[in-house]
Amino acid sequence: MVRFEKLVLGNGLRVIVHRDISTPIAAVNVLYDAGARDEDPGRTGFAHLFEHLMFEGSVNIPDFDTRLQDAGGENNAFTTNDITNYYDTLPAQNLETAFWLESDRMLGLAFSEQKLEVQKNVVVEEFRQSYLNQPYGDVWMLLRPMAYQKHPYRWPTIGKDISHIRDASLADVKHFFHKFYHPANAILSVSGNVEPDQVFRMAEKWFGDIPAGEPYIRNLPVEPAQTAQRRLRVEREVPFDQIFMAFHTGKRNDNDFFATDLLSDVLSNGSSSRLVQHLVKEKRLFSEVNAYITGSMDRGLFVLTGKLHEETSMEAAEQALFDELRTLKDEPVGDRELQKIKNKAEASHIFSESNVMAKAVNLAYFELLGDAGLLNQQTSFYFEQTPDALQKTARSLFEPERASVLQYHSVKTNTSV
Amino acid sequence: MINRQLTPATSIITHLPFIVPERGRLGNGVPVYLVEGGTEDIVRVELLFLAGSYHQHKPLVTYSAANLLKAGTIGKTSREISEMLDFYGAHLQVDAQKDLVSVSVYVLKKYLEPVLGMVQEIVVGPSYPQNELDILLKNQKHQHIVNSSKVAYLARLYFGEQLFGPKHPYGYRLRKKDFDKISRGDLLAFHKQWIHPGNLNIIASGKLPENITSMLEKFFGNNQWARPGQEPPEPVYTAMTNGTKKLLIQKDEALQSAIRMGKRTINRSHTHHQRLMIANALLGGFFGSRLMKNIRQDKGFTYGINSAVVSLVRDGYFFVGTQVGVEVCQAAIEQIYQEIRKLRTEPAGDEELMTLKNYLSGSFLRSFDGPFAQADRFKEILVFGISPDYYDNFLLELKNTTPESVMETAGKYLHEDGLIEVVAGKRQEVQ
Repeated sequence: MVRFEKLVLGNGLRVIVHRDISTPIAAVNVLYDAGARDEDPGRTGFAHLFEHLMFEGSVNIPDFDTRLQDAGGENNAFTTNDITNYYDTLPAQNLETAFWLESDRMLGLAFSEQKLEVQKNVVVEEFRQSYLNQPYGDVWMLLRPMAYQKHPYRWPTIGKDISHIRDASLADVKHFFHKFYHPANAILSVSGNVEPDQVFRMAEKWFGDIPAGEPYIRNLPVEPAQTAQRRLRVEREVPFDQIFMAFHTGKRNDNDFFATDLLSDVLSNGSSSRLVQHLVKEKRLFSEVNAYITGSMDRGLFVLTGKLHEETSMEAAEQALFDELRTLKDEPVGDRELQKIKNKAEASHIFSESNVMAKAVNLAYFELLGDAGLLNQQTSFYFEQTPDALQKTARSLFEPERASVLQYHSVKTNTSV
Repeated sequence: MINRQLTPATSIITHLPFIVPERGRLGNGVPVYLVEGGTEDIVRVELLFLAGSYHQHKPLVTYSAANLLKAGTIGKTSREISEMLDFYGAHLQVDAQKDLVSVSVYVLKKYLEPVLGMVQEIVVGPSYPQNELDILLKNQKHQHIVNSSKVAYLARLYFGEQLFGPKHPYGYRLRKKDFDKISRGDLLAFHKQWIHPGNLNIIASGKLPENITSMLEKFFGNNQWARPGQEPPEPVYTAMTNGTKKLLIQKDEALQSAIRMGKRTINRSHTHHQRLMIANALLGGFFGSRLMKNIRQDKGFTYGINSAVVSLVRDGYFFVGTQVGVEVCQAAIEQIYQEIRKLRTEPAGDEELMTLKNYLSGSFLRSFDGPFAQADRFKEILVFGISPDYYDNFLLELKNTTPESVMETAGKYLHEDGLIEVVAGKRQEVQ
């Protein structure tokens, strides 16, 4: 149970505090309700590029990282298709330094052409390191536009194309900042060895005078229901074939989220799960196989991936995955099997509560979903699910005509190692 | 209006909350260490066997023997074992390293007893079924082949070989064919020789149940778990670089080159090790390091660069690692040399050193956060036979660090002479 207190400042900033006296550390998390889905289709990768610029100095403080390091702190950030999230951990007695730093960069950035140029290069190298110079690195660049034709989930956070990063201008940067980076579009959460009242006073002191900004009204194109199967076959210089399948799911806040998540656990959470036992161990079709959901705030994806053995045909691999999905539709999950995955969900939830930073990140995320208190209800939502609910959800998800199937074929390269 | 130019007051860390574990011994002599703490009802029990790939006679034997513990016993199949562990939401983590094999289980306190019973069964009596071995080797070979198309993996693999020599187990470069040479017999022999109570330490951490000692005694303290009649002799190897300092693993289609440079140096058991860690941190040990500032933040050559000092039980080494655009590979290598040289020739500024000290003390504090982290810190000194005041000494060492002491340490242990350079990808000479 993560107890917390909440306060909303006059400018709309939501502040959440959790006190944990067992640790000498405090974690400060600032979530901005802006992700890759909020980008202009002609300027993708921008939310993530912007995340880099948030470390390049703000109106009053030229060097974010050094000042935090001076206080014994460390920080990082991540960008998803839905949000951009920044977090700092530091010795609890130096908490105020994080407030000073985070509030100044919410107030305004020290924009410069030179810093933009360098960070564009860094992101281009990240693009190459994570996507282009990796075997199978382009999978999501192929799969997203198959599964989404209208919704901005059709591009990955790094961007649709490297040229979008290279072409980003300082004017674009400023526009993005003013649109999204203001108090009403953010959630501040703090966890660790802190006094809630003191945290609220600090929040008022450092964030209270930041102008509220124009509210951002999200109005994204809705992805139409898929009516025919989508297929793509590509050839790449990689050692083995892989297969990827995606089905549309509901939104993170929809009621069937928990059943959907448990279905992916039945398939591949743990070595006793179905895909591992049936397709890796018994039939030996794959060296590795996985099922997971993207869990995004707008309609997400249920994804299956398999790494084929050399002697496995693409057809057999695809058939085997469809067969497993059919079983989920045809037969209810057994009681003990369901209990097992619920127990796993409970354990992973409790383990995540042992980490101050995870608690701060989670509180902010659930507040964005509607209420930070949802964090403490997650396990009971999973425990409420029944075999019937899972089967019903499986029937609604796994229609072959709603699948996007990506066949990723290997053309041989020389591997002498 | 508040004055945002004014930095809030900060205070430095003067004390580390390191809990020296409660020590005990099981009836069969196995040392047990208990680290009590945390807010949630969760427990980790780690079985630490002091033998690793250093002790194997063939590549992959340690890895396979450790990872297939859960693949079956005389009485249970692999599936029954994983069903049971999954049902209790337990997470089994097996780690086969160069010097040790670690078997850890993370579990809710309420399920500790049945789960420990299962851990005992698999650790004491694995049957190593042939079909499970076949599956593991085939899948790992697949993974190795995929990894071999990644420049970072290649650089790491060849760097080890360059550093220790092809015959040394620390430096052995894994090959495809190695996956075809392992038999059940190899695993059974490794298990018999090294996975036994004479070679075991147990570290339990988290919210421990009251009867933790008797529980550990019941499962791991009885005499049915035999030791080998004769302790096997400790193998002896000599590290020998093969003389090639610069190695290029050419990949024509690469967009980025992976660079790995370094040399052998002292390890954690040496009195100067903490000094070396501090000097290395300034060079490439954190986001504000010189390498990061120069090569990422100033030049934009890379997404990331770091350097580290790695302690192995019987050796140690220093390395710098990064991936950069192929067109700037040579320029990046020159900058790395320059930064290493500067570390021993140019004194750090007062502000730079102050930031380093503050950052490192905070980072040190974070590394002790929670019972599992405490247990990890204890493990580091246990494996190297170091006394528990090691961690308090670190703060003292940090306090006494001066620009001159950093230069001296760098001159002694991080000299750019004799660095090995491995590049995987493309390397172009600068115009």
